[in-house]
Amino acid sequence: MNPWEIIWRARGAFLDGFLDTLAIFLLAALLAFALGCLLVYGLEGRTGPTRRALRGFIDVMRMLPFLVLVYLLYYGLPQLGVRLPAWSAGMIALVLYHGAYFAEILRGGRTMLPAGQIEAAQAHGFAPGKAFRRLVLPQLLIRTRPLLGNQLILALKDTAFLGIITVQELTAAANSVQSSHFVPMEAFLMVILLYWLISIGIELLIKWSARFGAKRGFEHV
Amino acid sequence: MSELPVVSIRRLCKSFDGVEVLRDIDLEVKRGEVVSVLGSSGSGKSTLLRCINWLEEPDRGSIHIGGVRMGVDERNGRPLSARRLASIRARTGMVFQGFNLWPHLTVLQNVTEAPVHVRGLGKEEARRRAVELLEKVGMAHKRDSYPFSLSGGQKQRVAIARVLAMEPEVVLFDEPTSALDPERVGEVLAVMKQMSAEGHTMILVTHEMDFARAVSDQVVFLEKGRIIERAAPGKFFTDPDSERVRRFLELSD
Amino acid sequence: MNGQAWLLLLDGAWVTVWISAVAIGLGVVLGLLVALLRMARIPFLEQLLILYTSLARATPLVTLVLFVFLAAPGWGLNLSREAAAILALTANTAAFNAEIWRGAFLGFSRDQRESALACGMTPWLLFRRIMLPQMLAGSLPGLVNEMTFLIKGSPAIAVIGLVDLSRVSNRIGAVTYEPLPPILAAALIYMAILGVLVRLQALAERKAGRLAM
Repeated sequence: MNPWEIIWRARGAFLDGFLDTLAIFLLAALLAFALGCLLVYGLEGRTGPTRRALRGFIDVMRMLPFLVLVYLLYYGLPQLGVRLPAWSAGMIALVLYHGAYFAEILRGGRTMLPAGQIEAAQAHGFAPGKAFRRLVLPQLLIRTRPLLGNQLILALKDTAFLGIITVQELTAAANSVQSSHFVPMEAFLMVILLYWLISIGIELLIKWSARFGAKRGFEHV
Repeated sequence: MSELPVVSIRRLCKSFDGVEVLRDIDLEVKRGEVVSVLGSSGSGKSTLLRCINWLEEPDRGSIHIGGVRMGVDERNGRPLSARRLASIRARTGMVFQGFNLWPHLTVLQNVTEAPVHVRGLGKEEARRRAVELLEKVGMAHKRDSYPFSLSGGQKQRVAIARVLAMEPEVVLFDEPTSALDPERVGEVLAVMKQMSAEGHTMILVTHEMDFARAVSDQVVFLEKGRIIERAAPGKFFTDPDSERVRRFLELSD
Repeated sequence: MNGQAWLLLLDGAWVTVWISAVAIGLGVVLGLLVALLRMARIPFLEQLLILYTSLARATPLVTLVLFVFLAAPGWGLNLSREAAAILALTANTAAFNAEIWRGAFLGFSRDQRESALACGMTPWLLFRRIMLPQMLAGSLPGLVNEMTFLIKGSPAIAVIGLVDLSRVSNRIGAVTYEPLPPILAAALIYMAILGVLVRLQALAERKAGRLAM
């Protein structure tokens, strides 16, 4: 049988893997992004132990391979009595890891924000939380849009590591199809194409969202 | 029985890196008064203004806004919580040299943002009032534009409308026209003049001598952190007591 | 965790480091090649390279490593695990490096190019003495950054059976029933390796900054 016919017959498995990966990615991206915003808010104008702790967390996440974090959560925690199912361990790892990266990106944008913006918010009586949510964060998002998009693609790719701890996702699906039917090249080409499609989707979304900044005069973003 | 002063500053002191920027400042501003704060660069005038809404924290002394202690809890001497500080700040307004409009919001949204999200005003009501204020400063036709498309003078007028939307007890002006092209200065001063005529309480730090002379009720001169002269504009600009002030006025001509 | 465990970890670290180093070296050079070829705008080749760059940057390392190792025999290539890992890592990192090099080329100020050409320099001389040194300095931070990403992605090579640092840490835990210490130790070793790179990156950024890029 033509290898591509085999792939077509196994399309159910590929579709399942694709949807699994998409689901993991979307949920993790959302939560990681929320965590990133929280972390940046936590760093806002704060000094002392809280800031050091948050800063330390972000720095550690940026110095660790993703898979090591996954191992820590999935294989390491049980020694402390915490047994996480694979999907949860993977999800938590994605959220913590990429949350830290999102925070670092937003923090970079934050340093570029003119001090006058905050002062105007304070002068009008905005409490810090509201000022951050309504006046600082929107500007950070507009300014760091391309970097955020980049990070989303990195998060998508990290979902493939989760197959190593037996989470159902696209690469694991390809591996299973190719090992049963001996079509390694075609199976993996198929999923490379599918990952590519998702990442093009992300890039299109990022390009489309450029209009928000452009309309408001944010150039070079 | 006389009313409480809107702003009451007593024995205010502030240092930066060991350098004394404000020494023992006493100042009272009554309702409806327009006070101009003049002085050469480095005299501390901006710092004084920024202490009033606690954008700078003084080292010693007290500031009261409408009788309420600013920045410090009167009962125990400790700093106010962020929320309490914000609520007192909401009673003041500040117009900045750099305008500081929020670039991701339209002109109209800039003016409604604080009333809706700090005061809790309804969106429709806030919008109605915002349009009124924008008409007053001559910017209603740009209500759906974004700040990046405006000239400096236009931005500053929007900034003034934004401040007025909160109905502050006192409006602080931190060199509002210093960053403007000369042709644009007039349109902003016109708005400020109208405000003084309407009885707003205003404290201005400015280099526009003619304007200060025309609208002020009181002029205060800062030199190296101290008030060395305070007088009505008539006396201040024609016959000041201090030699230093004389020299300053000569140089400014 | 006893001495033997540490030795195993160091063995694994060595596998990680040497395979990564080869891939990094090849990837930087290959990336430069790809960037230069793209700038040459040869009709069919340009499209091919754009496709390659786009695909390679969107493909997870795990997927790519598996793909190369399992599909290679079908292409008539008998690759060892190490070779397959190096090939996959290189293909991945070269695509990112190509973009970094390209960014450095495109960002090269027109004024410099025009003033050099105006005083009689040939395009080759311009490239060799003026563009290349600055592009090297300007690309350096991005290239070093990509190196850290390669090392952070290197655990992917374990899926084809290479006993790298991450896999070793797992194995030790499986034997001692105390999985946490070896994983933590591996984490520390990775952080040490990356720490060296991060320091290099800071140096690179300072150098690029001094050239006012």
